[in-house]
Amino acid sequence: MMSTIGGAIWRQPMMIIAAKELKDSLRNRWVAVIFGLFFLLAFSVTFAGSAVSGTLAFPSLVSVIASLSTIAVAIIPLAAILLCYDAFVGEEESGTMLLLLSYPLTKMDIFLGKLLAHSGIMLAAIVSSFTLSATILLCFGQGYQWQQTLWVFGQFIASSGLLALTFILLSYVVSLRATEKAKAVGTLLSLWFALVLIYDLLLLALLVADLGHRVQWLVQLLMALNPTDIYRAINQLATHAPMGSLPLLSQFQGGALWLYGLMLLWVALLAWLTLRTFMRKAI
Amino acid sequence: MSVNNLAVQLEGVGHQFAELRALNQINLSLPRGMTMALLGHNGAGKSTLIKVILGLLTPDSGRVDVLGQRLTSGKKPSNVGYLPENIHFYDKLTGAEILRYFAALKGESHQRVAQLIEEFGLGYAQHKLVKGYSKGMKQRLGFAQAILASPQLLLLDEPTVGLDPQASSFLYQKVAQLKRQGCAVIICTHELNLVESQLDVAMMLGRGQCLAYGTFAELAKASPLQVKIALDGLAALLVTHPYLQAFYRQGALHCAQSEQPALVRYLTTKCQRFDFTLHLPGLAEIYHHNMAQMQHCSEQGLGFVTEPVLQPMGV
Ligand SMILES: Nc1ncnc2c1ncn2[C@@H]1O[C@H](COP(=O)(O)OP(=O)(O)OP(=O)(O)O)[C@@H](O)[C@H]1O
Ligand SMILES: [Mg+2]
Repeated sequence: MMSTIGGAIWRQPMMIIAAKELKDSLRNRWVAVIFGLFFLLAFSVTFAGSAVSGTLAFPSLVSVIASLSTIAVAIIPLAAILLCYDAFVGEEESGTMLLLLSYPLTKMDIFLGKLLAHSGIMLAAIVSSFTLSATILLCFGQGYQWQQTLWVFGQFIASSGLLALTFILLSYVVSLRATEKAKAVGTLLSLWFALVLIYDLLLLALLVADLGHRVQWLVQLLMALNPTDIYRAINQLATHAPMGSLPLLSQFQGGALWLYGLMLLWVALLAWLTLRTFMRKAI
Repeated sequence: MSVNNLAVQLEGVGHQFAELRALNQINLSLPRGMTMALLGHNGAGKSTLIKVILGLLTPDSGRVDVLGQRLTSGKKPSNVGYLPENIHFYDKLTGAEILRYFAALKGESHQRVAQLIEEFGLGYAQHKLVKGYSKGMKQRLGFAQAILASPQLLLLDEPTVGLDPQASSFLYQKVAQLKRQGCAVIICTHELNLVESQLDVAMMLGRGQCLAYGTFAELAKASPLQVKIALDGLAALLVTHPYLQAFYRQGALHCAQSEQPALVRYLTTKCQRFDFTLHLPGLAEIYHHNMAQMQHCSEQGLGFVTEPVLQPMGV
């Protein structure tokens, strides 16, 4: 009985599409590159303290998370973009989208199948590398409290997952609107550059220029409009240690729950936008 | 003919792309088990018509029935095989993986995939990435994909592009085999001499309009194209039989299709000649004639031929 149910699930169009996307990504070596990047990040940050001091002393939990999130905020979106930029425009170029749509399946199946595979890959990379990082700290480090470490890393993994999801969906929207693969990747890399690097510089300029905290509400609004800033804020709140380029980020009023809510709102909004674009797209 | 015996029935189908009327007032009744050649110049609307029949495009006017099902907005027909034009598939998957993927989506078994791969002569390359496939190999793969799960209607958009002569004839053999099983086939192609011997009916499209529709014989009959009769020693024959002089042009006899029986009778009875060859107008000539006529009509400002040369059959 179980096997028939299981078998039926694997024969669903969504699962068949997800399996194919997974295979395609594995062949494209993106998966290897992404896993490599994440493990490199986890290892280098975890062992960074010992390398600097020449002894096997691990950095504090707060600084581990601060360093990890500073780099992850750039790497996670980049990995999601590289994995997904051709998700739709690629099928369009090769003529397979037309073919798929003539098959007995829906656009929803195609969307969910792709999302399942791509978010699965990203989540696997995030969970495995950061869990490894936490395990190393707990097993070899001293003075790390189990509960606190798990809680902080749990939050870090959850927010990283949401950030990945946001950029996967953003890549889908761009991929659906692009007419060529090259244009999709170009647009996405510009967006990445703007959201991850330029945006914060502008925000910082605004903060520096603001003498009497008059525009704090504006800064907070601008932060809410950029998922990477929400991600930074979540992780600085989680460690209770405002660090990095924007100490004010962690003073986001309303706390972590609000920030997670905002992140989820972004995911929901982008999912809706992807579906709407896909459904309305003329062949 | 009962509606259920029709694979495709179109009534007054039209489709607009922004400024362009890509299809206008298309009627068609294609019975099951018949092959239709869909012909026309580049941009005539052939691929668009195929997409309408597949439910991929919703026409802005008219009705579409496929395999006894009315296609309303967003509805797709089931049991249909399709080979799109210019298909490249997924570079990083192998031929076998691609075919298994599409088979899974159609609920077809792996055994059938293995069988098709062998039949299509792709066995040696089945574990190679499709990136390294030639155009013809991809086209074979595409055709194998189209006939997965025994379709009742097969739509082939330029299927023989890039195929070697052997592969083309294999494709038409397969089409004939499916036809015997009751599958209706629509082949959109520019290779008129290849499709000529395979079709039951042909539709000629020009600028979104149906210029002609019918069996090959009907199309030939409807065109004013002449029959050519070639035979040796014609010069001497013209002297002894001055009646023939009226038909003589450029070293052969030419007559209207309606005059052909009488002329042949004259040659065999009065002249006692049986060694002549008859050249009936071919599909290519009929096609060129129709296209030239369309061009002429539009140049003269007469508009296009609004009625097809022949009424759709089978209604
Ligand atoms: N998605 C689209 N948007 C706008 N115009 C389109 C679209 N698809 C096709 N057309 C136009 O509709 C007309 C018919 O195109 P279609 O692809 O059906 O031609 P075709 O007969 O298949 O030509 P070919 O022999 O070159 O394949 C062309 O003028 C084409 O430019
Ligand atoms: Mg075409």
